[in-house]
Amino acid sequence: MVLLKSLHPPTEGVRHEQAETTAVIDGHRLGCGTLYVAETRLSWFDGSGMGFSLEYPTISLHAISRDVSAYPQEHLYVMVNGKLSDESEAEMAEKAADDDDDNDGSSSSGGDDDDEGVITEIRFVPGDKASLESMFSAMCECQVLHPDPEDDDSDNDFEGEEYDVEEAEHGHGDIPTFYTCDEGLSALTQEGQATLERLEGMLAESVAQQYHMAGVRTEETKPEFEDGMEVDAAAMEAGQFEDADVEH
Amino acid sequence: MEPEAAQSPSSSGKPVEVFNSIRERTITENSMVVLLQGLQGQVTTVDLRDESTARGRVVNVDAFMNVRLEDVLYRDRRGQLAHLQDLFITGRNVRYVHIPDHVDIMKTIESQLAKIHRVRNFASEGGGRREFAKKTK
Repeated sequence: MVLLKSLHPPTEGVRHEQAETTAVIDGHRLGCGTLYVAETRLSWFDGSGMGFSLEYPTISLHAISRDVSAYPQEHLYVMVNGKLSDESEAEMAEKAADDDDDNDGSSSSGGDDDDEGVITEIRFVPGDKASLESMFSAMCECQVLHPDPEDDDSDNDFEGEEYDVEEAEHGHGDIPTFYTCDEGLSALTQEGQATLERLEGMLAESVAQQYHMAGVRTEETKPEFEDGMEVDAAAMEAGQFEDADVEH
Repeated sequence: MEPEAAQSPSSSGKPVEVFNSIRERTITENSMVVLLQGLQGQVTTVDLRDESTARGRVVNVDAFMNVRLEDVLYRDRRGQLAHLQDLFITGRNVRYVHIPDHVDIMKTIESQLAKIHRVRNFASEGGGRREFAKKTK
């Protein structure tokens, strides 16, 4: 038998509220009340203001069951780690520090219950069956707000700012990624030098053609020549472009 | 499905959303969860810690390995079967996720990582590769 506690319904962060919802805990029907899916906890209250609440980290899974051969009514199924026993989950969490005094071993919080495999099955049966999807989604949203703090497997040390992947990969994070032509030459590797010479060669050919067109850059100019870097390289070969009236 | 959709649609403010997005993306690309995210749309079996199993279509897997399945055949630890329309399993309670035989694991990982990198580059300030910064002269 679950003794309900007089708790206050949550007022903030309520993602979904469902009235006319019957709560069934481990097969015990508690009557009709209102389910509150809030960001901090999941709670249910009957007509007289008594209820219980669940902390999301204690919820193993939740589901929509429409299989009436398994359970006669369509409902939201919630599996909780541990037992609600004689106290509400909230009260147990508060007493976590005093575990030694009043704990008979069946209501300890956190990791202990995992080993025992003790669970509580709760079914929320709404009067409005169509609301099950909303109830389910709201729970999903709130559940992801409470990632497992005890998870040792995943490395959660990614608190830093996002980094530039390409900078990190090429190891030039602290070096500007473009140069003006003079200072840039000295920073080039052998390969970079060769590449620059090749590109300039290509550029010189097309520049030569443009030169014959009175120095006006036409629309046929390739996109790669549009950015600042290439203009400088071109200037080396055909300095007269610097002062030219370029009509676009 | 883009990793972006795996985030919780938090209503508690934009900054939190962005933080989760970056953090989740980083966690994902540095763990095998990236493989599980590539299973979206596939039917597979998830073994839970309590030895129950759930077989259904993968709707979503997030960075914390929370798994959402639909059209599920759930066998509880006592062996009882039930059909569940939608099921959300907390990451902590996942023991195994079976990879279907027809899934090419390397390709799935590579394509998921590519999606993450595309999202990262697209989302960075100014868009596109940041190498060609505007030059002032």
